[in-house]
Amino acid sequence: MSAGLSLAHEPVSKIPNGKLAMWGFLGSELMFFTGFFGAFIVLRNANYDVFGEGSSHLNVWLALVNTFFLIGSSLTMALCIHNAEHGNRGKQQLFLGLTLLGALGFLVIKSIEYSDKWGHGYFPTQPHHTLFYSFYFIMTGFHALHVIAGMIPMVFMWLRGFSKEGYPHPLKLEVLGLYWHFVDLMWIFIFPALYLMIPYHGAAAAH
Amino acid sequence: MAHSHEHDHGNVIKEYMKVFWTLCGLTVLTVVAAKVHFPLTWGTPGDILHVTIGIIIAVIKVIAVMYVFMHLKFDNPLIRAFVYVPTFLFLVLTFALNFLETWHYTYPTLP
Repeated sequence: MSAGLSLAHEPVSKIPNGKLAMWGFLGSELMFFTGFFGAFIVLRNANYDVFGEGSSHLNVWLALVNTFFLIGSSLTMALCIHNAEHGNRGKQQLFLGLTLLGALGFLVIKSIEYSDKWGHGYFPTQPHHTLFYSFYFIMTGFHALHVIAGMIPMVFMWLRGFSKEGYPHPLKLEVLGLYWHFVDLMWIFIFPALYLMIPYHGAAAAH
Repeated sequence: MAHSHEHDHGNVIKEYMKVFWTLCGLTVLTVVAAKVHFPLTWGTPGDILHVTIGIIIAVIKVIAVMYVFMHLKFDNPLIRAFVYVPTFLFLVLTFALNFLETWHYTYPTLP
């Protein structure tokens, strides 16, 4: 009787354990980023000029390209999971590879941006740039770390996909996909917050 | 996951593509909206409009990603409840409360 018992699904909720755990983890990740966003909103609205000056030096176009890299890799991740669930190994490998490529592209552009900021002295240690660039480097830095953290299991899954039996766990791919989409979600907020919502002087003048 | 098998192969892909193009369009729209300098509207600085539009677009994008890419549409209703409630609290607590608090001393003349 007990031989047929499968614990792959939690018996009451019918949700796979790994998936539930990932959603719980994403909840804690949300709280982690919420701290930054909360502090950002409060300090931004209290220091209009500093944040306006700081974000006017950022390169919106590089960040826009990066946004497309992330959206694209989110799409390919979803397509990869879809093909994994339908047993299309070739397409699963193709789309996982494209996802990795998108992540790599994101990091390359991010490093170009960082080195440009460093080169021009836009760094938290510079007296005028402390406040805005602390937020810039911490928020985008932690986001980039999340991208790297997602790429590590992705590389393993991709490489194992080339073996004879392929990558045999579509559910694990789906759980990784949840994390990957979350990384995309955080960028959806970080991009306008840091690059686009530049407080401009009309507001300061009216104050 | 089990539910997604019931959906037609092509339909799901079509839906993914729809979300992808929506995200691309909304991203461009965010940038355009941020570049437009709104006049002083309703006696308030244009920045409020910028931020409001930016947040509304971001929230629409987040809903699209969570609903389709993260499979909430096809998933167990329990996960939906498990996800929607904290997400709603996150949005309300982070944006609404922080903005209400800080706008009050940024623009003391506003109600």
